[in-house]
Amino acid sequence: MTESAVVKTINAVKSAFRGYYFKPDMVEAPDKMEQREFGYMQFGQPGMVRHLSFKSMKELTATIMKEVPSDIYCSNAYYRFPTYPMQEKQWLGADLIFDIDGKDLHLPCVPSHSYPICTNCGHASAPVPDEKRKEEHYSCPACGGKKADDISIPCAKCIEGSKREVKRLVEFLTGDLGMQRSDIHIYFSGNNGFHIHVSDEAYIPLDPQARSDLVGYLSGSGLMAESIGVRKGNAENLFFIKFPKSGLAYGWRGRVANKLKIDGSSMIKLKHIVEQKGGYAAFKADLDRMTRDIGVRIDPQVTTDVHRVFRMSGTLNSKSGLAKIKCGDNIDSFDPFVDACLLGDGKLSVKVKTQVKLKLKNKSFNISKESAELPAYAAIYLICKRLAEAS
Amino acid sequence: MSIRIGPKDWADDPLQNEDLAKYPFLNDVSEYIRQTHFDFEEYNRPEFKDIIETAIERIETEASGRLYEKLDRFQREVFIFLATLIIVKSIGIESVLRKYSLFEAMRAEKFLTEDLKRERNEQKRRLLLFKIFKELFNVDIDIDADDERLFKVKITDYLKRASHFHEQEWKLINRMVNKGYVYLDADETVRLFRNELGALVYDKVKMMQLLTLPEALKTKIEELRTKMTHRYEYRATAVTDYPPCVKHALEVMGRGENLPHSARVMLATYMLAIGKPVDEIVMMYENAPDFNEKITRYQVEHLAGMKGSRTKYSVPSCDKLRNENLCFATAECDGIINPIQFGRKMRK
Ligand code: SF4
Ligand SMILES: [Zn+2]
Ligand SMILES: [Zn+2]
Repeated sequence: MTESAVVKTINAVKSAFRGYYFKPDMVEAPDKMEQREFGYMQFGQPGMVRHLSFKSMKELTATIMKEVPSDIYCSNAYYRFPTYPMQEKQWLGADLIFDIDGKDLHLPCVPSHSYPICTNCGHASAPVPDEKRKEEHYSCPACGGKKADDISIPCAKCIEGSKREVKRLVEFLTGDLGMQRSDIHIYFSGNNGFHIHVSDEAYIPLDPQARSDLVGYLSGSGLMAESIGVRKGNAENLFFIKFPKSGLAYGWRGRVANKLKIDGSSMIKLKHIVEQKGGYAAFKADLDRMTRDIGVRIDPQVTTDVHRVFRMSGTLNSKSGLAKIKCGDNIDSFDPFVDACLLGDGKLSVKVKTQVKLKLKNKSFNISKESAELPAYAAIYLICKRLAEAS
Repeated sequence: MSIRIGPKDWADDPLQNEDLAKYPFLNDVSEYIRQTHFDFEEYNRPEFKDIIETAIERIETEASGRLYEKLDRFQREVFIFLATLIIVKSIGIESVLRKYSLFEAMRAEKFLTEDLKRERNEQKRRLLLFKIFKELFNVDIDIDADDERLFKVKITDYLKRASHFHEQEWKLINRMVNKGYVYLDADETVRLFRNELGALVYDKVKMMQLLTLPEALKTKIEELRTKMTHRYEYRATAVTDYPPCVKHALEVMGRGENLPHSARVMLATYMLAIGKPVDEIVMMYENAPDFNEKITRYQVEHLAGMKGSRTKYSVPSCDKLRNENLCFATAECDGIINPIQFGRKMRK
């Protein structure tokens, strides 16, 4: 891209974002605003402007209108002094947040809609099927560069996959953890996943270690064979059965017992199962696989980091031009490509870098020619995906 | 003398003085002492001689890392405990205070576990749970409706504490969890609060205001201090040649604070690598609050390859230590990848 094309492209996105923020009440006010840290990123500039504090939405909106940031964030943490350097802020607690990202699910559809973009010159190529990727290493047709970013245009299946994880997470939270459904708030992340915010006060004081333990629970990692009654004997692969005092009825014990079709009296049956698997070690390996399978795929880092800033609800994601927004009570009927696609439909001329397919606001686009005139929401989406530039 | 315990609506208090004797840090006991108008000078009375001796025996046992299990009648127990507080305060050696607090906590832990297991009087069990967990730590613990051997703890209350334990079985996933609660047996429930019980005793000593000491205690305290200074006080021996990570570990331990397992391993492997004899290494851990000579010796010998798998363990790399937050690098660490290299380049 020439320098003038870069400027022109940035201006096009910025003006679309400005139009969005110009409408009243787009950004959702976080509670206890004065105790939070805010930050934002600017178009065309690296790094985040952080350690900001806003007393009211009016103040925040004024800054957004003035700067038109590419991305706007707010801490999950509460601080006594939000604007001080990290060590001096005085942490008071943090909301519990989970991140489910489509790209962590490794769905089979992903290669078919991932566009390699050269990190050196920005050249975009058509998606490469998975088998081919393994054989051939990337080489940019334009500059010969060897490195590329994979930019994904998530498909309906990707979103379905993420939703499935969200629903499983909600099951865990309301079941095992006994949370109220009304304390669980589901947001579309603005690109390819969901953020789940919990407003149960009891979780706010938890430190990273406690959160990490919780993540282990939800993602099904670290269940000991002993917890369901299989104990290690004193020689390699020897074992014996002794059920825990508190039984197998609930939680992970219950889940695994269900899968294995056993209960607290199935001593002999469990013994057979372990023998069939080939002893203690083999059974344990199998158990690990099973629990990870049943567990929810959440990003462990996001939940354990109590100093992180999160995209604010109602703001635009510069990786897509879609908004992070709250999904209604029924996540099944939520369609991010309609409900979070909130930019206008005035026409915009773009130069598209490779042939692309996408569906937004229930309209399918199959763009094969280089120059195209598209509704702003689709044009901006492609620009944000680095698959197009303003012309 | 009768003392009031519990909320007024408990018609007849099921908790007797003998029950309270096991938990002398309870608010009710302090209240009892206040009501008796006890004056420290009364320790000079001949009947108290024996109480003072017992207090000293208790402190010495605990400072050397053993549980003191003898339990006296309530009226004596209360003043023995008070005497231990005064004495430990006056000795003024941090590592003695820490060990004393830990073993007082473990002592209460032992009694409480037994009470929760053996007590058949449901109301009494509930009152104990209330007195100890609710009044002292503001945590609600309930008895499971289906199985009275089990106790219900809120998940968040559990996580706040158990996530700092290292053993895999304390991970939430290995617990019976349902509808926001973790179900624990009596041992586990009480174990969960060990650190807090210890901190409670520790604070009692720290907060105590001592103006004048009764004569009967003065000489005893002097004797004990001399004995213990020699044994427990942190000796600032020439540790300047050790790498910063090792130095830090020694300092933490010298203060009588708890050192994470990984730091203990680093310290031992380092000392073995520079050729320190096992005996000397074992004694380095003496100030640790949970010091047990036999176990420590076994562990050090194990690391030295003298026990068990017979592999000699090497000193963890700087990278690994950095990851575990055990690295305290200074400029002198430049260019080394293992603590064992520290100082070598300079000497060359
Ligand atoms: S750099 Fe290595 S030797 Fe220096 S403090 Fe860190 S771990 Fe120890
Ligand atoms: Zn290129
Ligand atoms: Zn897909």
